[in-house]
Amino acid sequence: MTLRHNIVWGIALTAFAIPALAQDSANPTGQSAQGDVSVTIYNNNLALVQDVRQLPIAQGVSRIEFPDVSAQIRPETLSFAAAGTSIIEQNFDFDLLSPDKLMEKAVGQVVTIVRTNPGTGAETREQAKVLAVNGGVVLQIGNRIEVLRDDGLPVRVIFDKVPPNLRARPTLSVRVDSERAGVRPASLRYLTPGLGWSADYVALFDAKAGRIDVQGWVTLTNNSGTTYANANTLLVAGSVNQQGQPNYGGYNRYVPQPPTNIRRAGTETANRERLGDFYLYPIKGRTTIAQAQTKQVSFLDVQGVPARATWEYVNGWLGSSGEPVSFNSVVKFSTSAQGGLGDALPAGTVRFYMKDGSGAPQFIGENGIGHTPMGSELALATGQAFDVKVQPTVESRQKISDSKWRTTMRYDITNAKPEAITVDLAQAGLDWYWTDTKVVTESMKSTRRNADSVLWSVPVPANGKASVTATFETRY
Amino acid sequence: MTRAFCALLLCAVSAPVLAQGVVVSDAPVSTSVTVYRDPDRGEGRIDPRWPNGYALISEKRRITLPAGAATVRFEGVAGGMIAVSAVVTGLPGGVDEKNRDARLLSPAALLDGSLGNRVHLRRTNRKTGKVSEQDAIIRSGPSGAVVLQSAEGVEALRCSGLPETIVYDAVPEGLTAKPSFTVHTTSPGATTAEVTLTYLATGFDWGASYIAKVAEDGKTLDLFAWLTVANGNDVIYPDAQLLAVAGAPNRQSDYGALVPQPPSPVLNLQCWPMDSTSTHDAWGLPVPPSPVMYDMVMSAPASMAEMRMKGGVMATANRIAKQEELGDLKLYRVPMPVEVAPNGQKQVALLQKADVPFTRFYGAEVSAWETIADRPLDLTLRMQNKAKDGLGVPLPSGGAVVMQRGDEADLLLADTQLHDYAVGEKVELNAGAADQVRMKQEIVSSTGSERRIRITLSNALDRAAPVELLIGSAGSWVVEGDAARLPAKKDGKLWAVTLKPNSTATLNYTLRDPG
Repeated sequence: MTLRHNIVWGIALTAFAIPALAQDSANPTGQSAQGDVSVTIYNNNLALVQDVRQLPIAQGVSRIEFPDVSAQIRPETLSFAAAGTSIIEQNFDFDLLSPDKLMEKAVGQVVTIVRTNPGTGAETREQAKVLAVNGGVVLQIGNRIEVLRDDGLPVRVIFDKVPPNLRARPTLSVRVDSERAGVRPASLRYLTPGLGWSADYVALFDAKAGRIDVQGWVTLTNNSGTTYANANTLLVAGSVNQQGQPNYGGYNRYVPQPPTNIRRAGTETANRERLGDFYLYPIKGRTTIAQAQTKQVSFLDVQGVPARATWEYVNGWLGSSGEPVSFNSVVKFSTSAQGGLGDALPAGTVRFYMKDGSGAPQFIGENGIGHTPMGSELALATGQAFDVKVQPTVESRQKISDSKWRTTMRYDITNAKPEAITVDLAQAGLDWYWTDTKVVTESMKSTRRNADSVLWSVPVPANGKASVTATFETRY
Repeated sequence: MTRAFCALLLCAVSAPVLAQGVVVSDAPVSTSVTVYRDPDRGEGRIDPRWPNGYALISEKRRITLPAGAATVRFEGVAGGMIAVSAVVTGLPGGVDEKNRDARLLSPAALLDGSLGNRVHLRRTNRKTGKVSEQDAIIRSGPSGAVVLQSAEGVEALRCSGLPETIVYDAVPEGLTAKPSFTVHTTSPGATTAEVTLTYLATGFDWGASYIAKVAEDGKTLDLFAWLTVANGNDVIYPDAQLLAVAGAPNRQSDYGALVPQPPSPVLNLQCWPMDSTSTHDAWGLPVPPSPVMYDMVMSAPASMAEMRMKGGVMATANRIAKQEELGDLKLYRVPMPVEVAPNGQKQVALLQKADVPFTRFYGAEVSAWETIADRPLDLTLRMQNKAKDGLGVPLPSGGAVVMQRGDEADLLLADTQLHDYAVGEKVELNAGAADQVRMKQEIVSSTGSERRIRITLSNALDRAAPVELLIGSAGSWVVEGDAARLPAKKDGKLWAVTLKPNSTATLNYTLRDPG
């Protein structure tokens, strides 16, 4: 593309004797006006686009338009640089062309109207002056005053030209002062929302062998309204600070905090490209990121990571449940280089599969992870167990003194699975109002995980039951 | 430059050229559909017209690949496909990249994609029927108002009241009829590969539909259950392997947001203001008759009434779903290939148990504090989900109809629902209010630190009535009297008593403030 788009169109239009006019030419069906594009995408719906275009720049002051930039561009972040030019001003115009704007701008001007006789089909042409456009259109035709289409009969209105400054799409332009004329590379750089990425993991869990196979895909979404052709794409695992930015999503986007399923954060550094504190995930080769596209590229494939199935239940406060409630099914594995996955994991969704009786993988649940350093212990709940349940019951609650209470809890655990298991049962809610809650008696030894909770690891026989009782002394 | 020459030579806008090496797989050879329940629905029966669960769909496809780089396009995937969950296996060269494109061909997309391009403006003279066509260039953006520039000048589409429309030469590139799923692969050689595409898709749901038939002696019941599957997608799966998963797999991501929404089918064109001298309100364009709505009528699900009429549903053992263990979930495999039709509900036999003994009791949960006027107790049927008690199978959540065999016709006892029951648990089916067995609670006396309370039960039946009354928590107050000796249940006390035929029973208790 050595000529500018509008010059090309100018030739085409003149050939048709259609009045040529200064116009933008964002033309998605034609060749894109983009040059050498690099896109750096962050997790929090933000991307940095760098676009080096070959632009013919005239000597002196000239205006340059930029079609095919992101439709959601944050215009204030645009920076333009080309050799031998200095920038005078940047403009972002969003006065859009529409029939009512066309008519409003024609007030005081002469238009052509074409009436079609409903009886004969014959057409008559007249010149009319638009007097006003307030609710309806008032025309002066010769020395008569009429309201356009007041009688409901068909009337075409033909305007001479498109008014200046009305555009098909919001248009970005700069005015530059160039020392010389000629085609030269010009670099555009801007931020845009509408591009984002996350990771999606496919984890095939073999509970008997105690291992998972994990595939990781980066999932790139483009809703910025523009296609980026042959872009050099770099994904950054991290969210840059965007404090004080207005919401460019179009509506008030709720961005949930990424889940943390890390039980112990790792301290190992992964063998991947980094930028500051962020890990980088470059996409091999150049790729076209089309508008409304979800693109997935593989970045991780690890076989046979040790993993184990566990069951966890946390009773949130010293209360009963009317029905037995299910334990969470939790898969635990490490991201360490030793005995683990051996990589830093960008935030995303982990989907677990397990082979059924015929050997076909079936979906058994999903959970999310935040950015997870290498060497971390992960515990991901895949769902609630059908066969492993607990019913907590308050057996008694006694007042010991003005400020001391004793609550006896019983937890009846049932296991309908044909194998013996050990479940993690926790009683939380003990650090209520900073009271010195303590366990007075208990039927099996617990570990005090923290001020708020105690944990029992309870063995439950196959197709069997187990019970734990404990008495807590609380302040209130 | 080629473009300028093209325009000068009056050649039409070139038709979109398909990228080289696109291999289209139009339909699967065989399909397996595993349906998961809507985790947000709660227990009980499903709504076949609004299925909000999902399914894992696994499609086997035979694909002929050229050597080298190729793009494989999968057609005929479910509309609710969650593309990020897709796994493609069996490609000899692996998968370089997966793409889901949702730029759909619609009136608005045609207009938007043709901005700045040459189109044809066609007008029909209503009187003479003469059709005239002229070239024009679209000048305005995609927001639904069309400004055209022709050799005559600038005009707005359909503001004249004349029948006029835009005729396009070609479909803009990159627009597809349905969201498309493609993968890029690089094959070491030309081959025909057996490829499996596995993905999650929204718009499915399933539940069990139990029919419990109480025998004449009132001591046993025959339990039958349908596996009821709803498919809200527009794709048909003939001869599919159908499976269903019970249990509660975690769902983290927002599945609704992961499925691209179809574009609005209506293109709204706006004009300049068109008030006439007789109106003050804004004048709208005459709205063309709306296109015929998609036929939303679907095969009506078998109604409950119909199911009741069927009476003793019996299925032979080789037509009943086989239950497997899947980690902590329960997998049901339908033993024969079935058709999973779009916008429809399908039922196959889930389980069948004859002569299951059950007990009945009359129960209620009451607060320990307040006056409760005379009210009926609720009849509950209780079974032990154990093999020695005639059951001993996992019971997935669903709706339940309880019927009593009568002299002439069956009698509906209850239309209720049950949640997931594991083997070994006691199963309780709520069979509705029993007007002949009642309770009331009276406050006999009350002071600031003491409340004396009396519960009276009455049985108007000519047979014994077992009652289980759950008295709620008294908070920090101490329970004294008859109720003090009762066993703890939930946060309160359980009073279990069997009323003799045509009798009453009372329970007196006192709540005292420990001070």
